Amino acid sequence: MIAMRNGGASRLVLGNDVAELERLAGWIEGFTRQGTSPDVSFAVQLCLEEAVANIIMYGAAKNDSLVIAVELERNCGTLVARIEDNGRQFDPTRAPPPAPAASLGEAKVGDVGIHLMRSFASGMDYERRDGRNRLTLRFVEPATLSSE
Amino acid sequence: MDLSAEDLAGGITKVVLRGRFDTTGAVVVELPFNKIATEKQKIIVDLSAVNFLASYGIRVLLVGAKVAKSKGGSLVIVCPDNNVAKVLKTAGMDALIPLYQTEAAATAALAA
Repeated sequence: MIAMRNGGASRLVLGNDVAELERLAGWIEGFTRQGTSPDVSFAVQLCLEEAVANIIMYGAAKNDSLVIAVELERNCGTLVARIEDNGRQFDPTRAPPPAPAASLGEAKVGDVGIHLMRSFASGMDYERRDGRNRLTLRFVEPATLSSE
Repeated sequence: MDLSAEDLAGGITKVVLRGRFDTTGAVVVELPFNKIATEKQKIIVDLSAVNFLASYGIRVLLVGAKVAKSKGGSLVIVCPDNNVAKVLKTAGMDALIPLYQTEAAATAALAA
């Protein structure tokens, strides 16, 4: 039986350096090791990697250093991830879906990260407050887990 | 993340990727992967031992497939039906790069 732990938010603060993504992955792995299904763990890893990589690569004006705070919390059968950063305003929930390519030759490289976030998270909300981007992602556990 | 390559019968090169194909992993395999895509004609990319795939990894696969095609070669992927395959399909890669669940199926397709 997989134990469900409710409450107990965990927080990680990252800088805008690509090397920080490895730290993020290890931290998520630690948080999801118990009480999270493999599919939700994968989805959380994927969505946070995409969201934080975007902020690291595009969030800062030249040479600016950013503060990226990531929080994970269990709330009944849902895992909630919050990402807050002081980078340039960017609302991924409003990014248009990528256009399907007609052929390999015409396919554009890139542009799939936000589409993956939309598909693998159960919900995604954005707000800009006090000069910060705040993105909330929700991941609902399959019923078999939350009913235990 | 690591990469190994092996020549199979029929002029096919099998590239085995292992580990986490995320931004960090993709940076490690990008150059050797591009080199194989440039030099070889028939390429099977085996993702069976890849336990995670994110958009930067997809980018490496897509660039490799484009390079192979641009010189008349072909690149196909072997991936079991798991979350990595779900990422490939969600990103629309299965419509651009042939995706097989077994090496036998991929080999047969390249030999045809």
